[in-house]
Amino acid sequence: MAFIEGKTVSKAFGALRAVDQVDFHVESNEILGLIGPNGAGKTTLVNLITGVYPLTEGEITFKGERITGLRPARISHLGIARTFQIVKPFPGMTVRENVVIGALFGKNGAGRSTRVAFQEADRWIDYVHLHDHRYASVDQINISDRKRMDLAKALAMGPELLMLDEVMAGLNTKDIEEMMALVRRINEELKITLLVIEHVMKAVMSICHRVMVLHHGRKIADAPPGEIVKDDRVIEAYLGERYAKARRAS
Amino acid sequence: MQRKNTKWVMLGCLVVLGFVALPFLIEGYWVRVTTSILMYAIVTAALNIIAGFAGYAAFGNIVFFGIGAYTTAMLMLRVGFPWWGGVIVGGLLAAIYAILLGIPILRLRGHYFAIATLGINRATEQIALDWGSFTGGGKGITLPLPKMEIQQFYAMIYFIMFGLLLLTVLVNFMISRSRLGYALRAIRDNEDAAEASGIFPARCKITAWAISAFLTGLTGGVFAYWFSFIEPATVFDIMIAVKAFVMMMLGGAGTVLGPVLGAFLIELISETVWGKFLTLHMMILGVIMVAVVILIPKGMLDMFRRKFSLAGLWRNLKNQAV
Repeated sequence: MAFIEGKTVSKAFGALRAVDQVDFHVESNEILGLIGPNGAGKTTLVNLITGVYPLTEGEITFKGERITGLRPARISHLGIARTFQIVKPFPGMTVRENVVIGALFGKNGAGRSTRVAFQEADRWIDYVHLHDHRYASVDQINISDRKRMDLAKALAMGPELLMLDEVMAGLNTKDIEEMMALVRRINEELKITLLVIEHVMKAVMSICHRVMVLHHGRKIADAPPGEIVKDDRVIEAYLGERYAKARRAS
Repeated sequence: MQRKNTKWVMLGCLVVLGFVALPFLIEGYWVRVTTSILMYAIVTAALNIIAGFAGYAAFGNIVFFGIGAYTTAMLMLRVGFPWWGGVIVGGLLAAIYAILLGIPILRLRGHYFAIATLGINRATEQIALDWGSFTGGGKGITLPLPKMEIQQFYAMIYFIMFGLLLLTVLVNFMISRSRLGYALRAIRDNEDAAEASGIFPARCKITAWAISAFLTGLTGGVFAYWFSFIEPATVFDIMIAVKAFVMMMLGGAGTVLGPVLGAFLIELISETVWGKFLTLHMMILGVIMVAVVILIPKGMLDMFRRKFSLAGLWRNLKNQAV
């Protein structure tokens, strides 16, 4: 039994099938990379897992339990957390208060007092190396720090499955290296299963155990990273049919 | 930190003592004026729970004031309840009303919610108007008069309102520190992200609105007993809610003491100055509202915290222009 598993998962927006008959699974303690050109349906798939959108077709099970149709808050209490591609901070709060929201209302938050929750928040702020900005307000920190804050908030929710939606987008080379190390640590130290949407191929190649490729809402490949970059369908999806043909011919 | 806290606690005690001593120092008219200021401060601080913390612009919040007032009046007249019994039941009914209405309309966001609350206020006022046989209709209704010296009665109402204000401020303070408070602020800042963080927005918003309604309902009940005559046009007057919004914004929405501060400032100015400009004062209120939104969108409390400066005001003005 897979840790999280989706069968014929589909989402239609009117006539557009953003996610089309996708079967997927993530094993416990695995890092699954989810890649694909813009508009392939990656974020939509995450939104389906977290319950933001109802599924048009199919079903998703988490640890053998059906989670299709549950409210996003309910799903997060089961141990599924995410970060956002475009970080959605709470602008009226400090970094510490943003992270404490995760500690208060996440999986183990129910019985926590605000004092304990703040200790928990501090722990995760330290974990993502954001301690210099603990009391900063959100508009005072840069994009790299915002991504870390979002990550700290997600970690404070005590997830078993964490989905990272382009945490490296917009970061410079040094920040990407740090984020890669952090993602690896989260997987190895905290034993958290990860689903990582990413465009930075260097990161995908080095941190993911397996990569799934979406194109026009359909799954076109699912293999270890080394094989993915040689797959004709993937090259075609990213670089166009003509390039793929020329490559085959040579 | 510790010493700073002690200083604030002492200042708070002094202010409370000042208010307790006040009715013995001033004359009848000013006791009534101060009571009315206290009343506005409660309505504003209660509004702050839903509109300030959760960011849901409940423009029709005054409907709970009306419900509290009419429940008190009806229970005293038709059932023979003591005034305080009527007030408490009025508060509870207002809270139930908020829960029942909140289930459908707190699903709406932004302007849609604001408009829905206006509609509810108008509809409820219409019920009070049309159900004349029971409520007295548009002619209004007179409550049983208190059996005590009038000055004593006014002093009593003053203390009740002051107690209610203390209760409302305390509730605001407790919410600001509680799980509910953090949930409401998260909802205000980004409802989708709040939901993804494990918060159930509907439950939190309904709780906040019910608390707000309960406190507003109690105030309406005390108002009815105090004035001993109510009519729909007075107790469902949308202008009370509009004024409360100005007060809340001026003092600082989502803060504990800001709304109270704003209420005192606006009502003091209104009682002392505007009384002489009966038609002009609506215009002044409008100008203040625009000035607050442009110059100090986060309210006076925030302005004091950042050390008041003209440069700060100018910066806000420039940000608005962009």
